[in-house]
Amino acid sequence: MTTTPTTMTVRERGNMWSYRSLIWNFAQRDLKARFKGTALGWLWSLVVPIATLVIYSVVFSTIMRMKPPDFGNGATGNVAVWLWAGLTAWSMCANSLNSSIGALLGAGPLLKKIYFPPYAPVLGSVIALLIQSMIELGIYLVVLTAFGNVSWTWLLVPFWLVIFAVFLSSISMALAVLNVHFRDLAHIIGVAIQLLFYCSPIIYPMTLIAGKSKMGIPADKLISANPLTQFIVIFRDLTYGLTPGSPLAWLYITGWTLAVAWVARRVYRARALDLSEEL
Amino acid sequence: MTDPAVRVVGVSKKFTMHTEKRNSLKERLVRGRARTDGDFWALTDVSFDVPRGTTFGLIGNNGSGKSTMLKLLAGVHRPTSGSVIANGRVSALLELGAGFHGELTGRENVHLNGSILGLSKRQIEQSMEKIIDFADIGEFIDAPVKVYSSGMYVRLGFSIAVTVDPEILIVDEIIAVGDEEFQRKCFDYMFELRKRGTSIVMVTHSMALVESMCDQAAWLENGQLKAMGDSRDVVRRYLDNVNDREVAAAPEPAVEIPEVAEVSEHPRLGSGEVRIVGLEYLSDTGSPAPVLLCGDSATFRIRYSATEPLRDVVFGLGFLHETGVTVAGPNSESGTAPVPVLASEGFIDFHVPRLTLQPGNYEVSVAAVNHGHTFDHVDRGYKLRVRGAEGSEPGLTRMFGEWTGGTSPRVLVGDEVLNA
Repeated sequence: MTTTPTTMTVRERGNMWSYRSLIWNFAQRDLKARFKGTALGWLWSLVVPIATLVIYSVVFSTIMRMKPPDFGNGATGNVAVWLWAGLTAWSMCANSLNSSIGALLGAGPLLKKIYFPPYAPVLGSVIALLIQSMIELGIYLVVLTAFGNVSWTWLLVPFWLVIFAVFLSSISMALAVLNVHFRDLAHIIGVAIQLLFYCSPIIYPMTLIAGKSKMGIPADKLISANPLTQFIVIFRDLTYGLTPGSPLAWLYITGWTLAVAWVARRVYRARALDLSEEL
Repeated sequence: MTDPAVRVVGVSKKFTMHTEKRNSLKERLVRGRARTDGDFWALTDVSFDVPRGTTFGLIGNNGSGKSTMLKLLAGVHRPTSGSVIANGRVSALLELGAGFHGELTGRENVHLNGSILGLSKRQIEQSMEKIIDFADIGEFIDAPVKVYSSGMYVRLGFSIAVTVDPEILIVDEIIAVGDEEFQRKCFDYMFELRKRGTSIVMVTHSMALVESMCDQAAWLENGQLKAMGDSRDVVRRYLDNVNDREVAAAPEPAVEIPEVAEVSEHPRLGSGEVRIVGLEYLSDTGSPAPVLLCGDSATFRIRYSATEPLRDVVFGLGFLHETGVTVAGPNSESGTAPVPVLASEGFIDFHVPRLTLQPGNYEVSVAAVNHGHTFDHVDRGYKLRVRGAEGSEPGLTRMFGEWTGGTSPRVLVGDEVLNA
């Protein structure tokens, strides 16, 4: 048996797996830095979503008199729980984009002095956010259990979560890299995220817009085409409606995720490897 | 076995220069792509090997590409062409305390840095005690690094870089930081690493350090490899070049007639029958030189003008090192026959076959006296620069000699004599 010495250029030290402890360290750094010096610490990650939920519940159940769909187990629907489903998925998306877009700029001082793959801080930041979101998700599932709305379809949630995580990290990666080259991208994305909120069925059900169009533009088709719509619809189907979701929707989000991952890879290859000179 | 630790093959690095940075989408849309002001080649076609287990020095003037080279070795930048190949784990110390996050504690930063270097959590835990111990920062390890003093910052940075047991260590100018005690600790540790077979690549401006620590060195100039090989040779060639350039940059002869201001500063004494009008330095070729080389022959030519012929004049020279120490004070009395001074202009030469002054800056006093009577005394009126063709030794003068060795017969001492 011959052992060949591990000859490699300085940068090719390993794949993503071999950098897992670094990615995890960045995630930890994000989590610690976020809650350090705050009296409530981790509780803060719950204050914002709960406050949002309370506001929406009041607005939609008492002012707008929205009637939520029934639970999957046949019980009468609950506005707060129904909204919580959409908001959980939504906040995963919005928060991870918002925070990871600056991940590379934040790691700039490090990247200029020591080499590590630039994806590490971005993935770390996405992971930190997903962990935070797990609390929201957990509370949501506990509430559903209290309503007796549990089914085998919950077992599909992890699959959904993995696809969503890859989808979000790919977008985050591309945006974080581009944000180094175009420092105002973060502002644009901030506006885009707001727009996206209303273009996704978070505070309204898809049934509300079925068949509607304006100036010949079919609103329902447009909103269905939004990949985030399908992510939210599937998530709500799995947890609230207790149906496995339409295979077409699953296919749709998988297709989008692969496409976005491919684009992110292209952007990374083209732009991320000389970042230390741009920072 | 004979694989080099680091192999640099035909590496070039280009930086694109922008007059103005356009790094926002708005500017791109409004004003188009940024104009490039041409390219700057920081390195062109540099190749060298760092043999395993050796210490390698990179020398050169500021802006010669040394730091760019280190950044390429550390992987921070990518070469534009060519390749940098490392056999083993590289730990780089480009700027001490480089990878610290201010909000995190020292301990957390150790974890972060350790994982950047590719260590597992367990390996980091194992080194933790050693790192804290070496950095000598006590309980500050659990305080956020933003409250650290600069010394603590530096110490922790160095500790992490060296205690993670790197196979290849890349160090940039470490001697410039830290107090004396820590510097010594650093050198001891680097020496230790060297003994253990760690390959070290360092950039420094201290030629003495290169000569003492490095086995090999490379000299970069304007991004090109000028010389490479045994560190002493490379340092010598580099210093020669610097000396030549200094000579070329200061072509005016060394005749410096002290100006009035200088004279008033250091009062000019003497009755004035003989006046010192100049001092020239002649190199070993006999031509005037602005700089003299330690170890070469040199001639000091004192120019005087006299108002009347004098028989007994003793000329003296006083060499003061820039630290204020008088290093030597030769005078013509101890020489051969006294030199008669004729009326009008003349000169007297003091020739040394081998200049023993160490490289440095000196001030020279010149005096013309006779049995306690002073004709003229120019106190510290002339500047002398001595440069070395070799690296420096400690001390103000150099003792030229030969080192030889042999085996000595066994000498009986003390009890052994009695027992014999």
